[in-house]
Amino acid sequence: MILAKHLSKSFSNIKAVSDVSFTAEDGKITGLLGPNGAGKSTTLRMLYTVFKPDAGTATVDGYDIQKQAMQVKPNIGVLTHGAGIYERLSARENVQYFGKLHGLKGKALDSRIDELADLLEMEDFIERRAKGFSQGQRTKVALARALVHSPKNVLLDEPTNGLDIMATRGLRKVILRLKEAGHCVVFSSHIMQEVAALCDDIVIIAAGQIAAQGTPDTLLEITEANTLEDAFVKSIGSEEGLI
Amino acid sequence: MGTITNNSIGRLSGLWTVFTKEVVDNLRDRRTLITMTVSVIIAPLFIIGIQWFSESKVKEETDPVTSPPFELPVIGAEHAPNLMNWLRQSNIRIVDAPDSPESSIKRGERRVVMIIKKNYVERFEKGKSAPVLLMHDSSIQGLEQLGMQKVRRSLAGYSNQVAAMRLQVRGINPELVRPITVNTSDISTPESRNGQILGILPYLIIMFIMAGGMYLAIDTTAGEREKGSLESLLTLPIDRKYLLLAKLLAAAFFSALTFLFVLIGLTVSMKYAPVDSIELVIDPARIIYLFLTCLPFVFVASGLLILVASFTKSYKEAQSYLGFIMMLPSMPLIFLAFLSPEASASNMWVPSLSQALIIIETLKGEPIANHLVALSMISSLAVAATLSFIAMKFYQREGILG
Repeated sequence: MILAKHLSKSFSNIKAVSDVSFTAEDGKITGLLGPNGAGKSTTLRMLYTVFKPDAGTATVDGYDIQKQAMQVKPNIGVLTHGAGIYERLSARENVQYFGKLHGLKGKALDSRIDELADLLEMEDFIERRAKGFSQGQRTKVALARALVHSPKNVLLDEPTNGLDIMATRGLRKVILRLKEAGHCVVFSSHIMQEVAALCDDIVIIAAGQIAAQGTPDTLLEITEANTLEDAFVKSIGSEEGLI
Repeated sequence: MGTITNNSIGRLSGLWTVFTKEVVDNLRDRRTLITMTVSVIIAPLFIIGIQWFSESKVKEETDPVTSPPFELPVIGAEHAPNLMNWLRQSNIRIVDAPDSPESSIKRGERRVVMIIKKNYVERFEKGKSAPVLLMHDSSIQGLEQLGMQKVRRSLAGYSNQVAAMRLQVRGINPELVRPITVNTSDISTPESRNGQILGILPYLIIMFIMAGGMYLAIDTTAGEREKGSLESLLTLPIDRKYLLLAKLLAAAFFSALTFLFVLIGLTVSMKYAPVDSIELVIDPARIIYLFLTCLPFVFVASGLLILVASFTKSYKEAQSYLGFIMMLPSMPLIFLAFLSPEASASNMWVPSLSQALIIIETLKGEPIANHLVALSMISSLAVAATLSFIAMKFYQREGILG
């Protein structure tokens, strides 16, 4: 479970995120929805400990992201924005590398990778070197390496970016399976339909602040809109960033 | 609250995991293999090539039996027929002077032009010193000077012979005017005579040490950031310090490997090279000694490379800085080339300069005192540690994610 409390972050004079609070529960998918540059990535970067918040904090399974970053890290699996993989390593070696850095080894690691290859349908290219992989294959490798240590909490930053329809459907299936297995899944997207199709809870972020949050139904209620799309537009106050 | 997966990883095993991954990754990079192959083949080839070329050129020009006669244009040859005969006996061919001797020298068509004025005859006959003018360009260096030397030697010989004759005619022993006979005895060791090679060798070795770790240093820092895998790496439970340290050690590993290959390449080629003038004795013991004593510079090099690569934002930006960084360690070597200082406490603390001196003196067979070698090693390690420390500080910034 992830608890964000009044997170704020500025870069030089630009306020990227201000006073963002939300709860992402286990066994649920929480979507951070917002136009490009709204502060979704910055929020996630604070949650996965690579940025330090200027004010506020967050906890992951009770561990503070600032004071206990080393305890937070084993409990999160992260797919960063535009995640790259090592081209001269095979898909398996890419996942192995991250697994080893999480303290996994030997047979346990190998069978975990086989499991992920099965889950993400990577059998065809798992032994191949990553140079020349399609964007879909790359994302699968990056996702496998984020999940290799079976983290309780999974953070995905724009995971469907650059994926074709089939790959997006595949990814959606994986995210739903993670939810069924009781994981806490947080993912960011600027694509409304994607969030609507998957999320139990939606946090709409615009200009670094939370514009609205709740289940899809509550969002409709709050904004008095007929569709989620209208709710989204109403809550961010413009049509900016819609696809 | 969910169950907590607690996969802890020790610092050393994390370091080792990153190190081995970077080594394997880099070994699969063709550029690394090219750099290493080049270092084994090109360095010795280059050095031996230069030596072989100059040696064969000198032989060709100076061998009294096989070398072709040196062509000397003479203006006023008719005034000194006897001198001309003397010159011909020293394998010099007298040819007609060009219209404009000065410009023909400037253009490089002629190396020397001899001018004999009319008063030569008059003064020679009166027993006075007769003038012969040699026109040449002293700014032309190297082998081009051979012709001038040859003509001078021959003229000096002629002058001595005529002097001796004149004295004998007057009943004076020629030895009277030669109060001192200079005999020389060369006690230099064969190794210490290879100045030319020893001048280039440290430079090449130090450049190859830098080049050996260069690709890895950029690829694992600036490159990793650009490709977007760095951020994922930073979410793992390994301290950034150890991440960077592992990358630095991997860069040092390839620098050291390249260094070793250059040394081995030199040893093998010295043994089989068809060059007489090089008699560097590079045996396995000296190789090991050189490798170990200069190893601290490997860390200076990788520290420098990693430092630059860790604050630059992209592969390209890193490369443009590295061009300059590659020059840094060569600057003390320029100092070395001009002043050829002796090893002392005042210069053995300078990285690259001290290693160059160690290389030169060891190959000359005149090893540097142990305490000076220790000074070099300790100070280079201190510099390397400082550079790495700064790089680690850079790596702690959020800005490294760009």
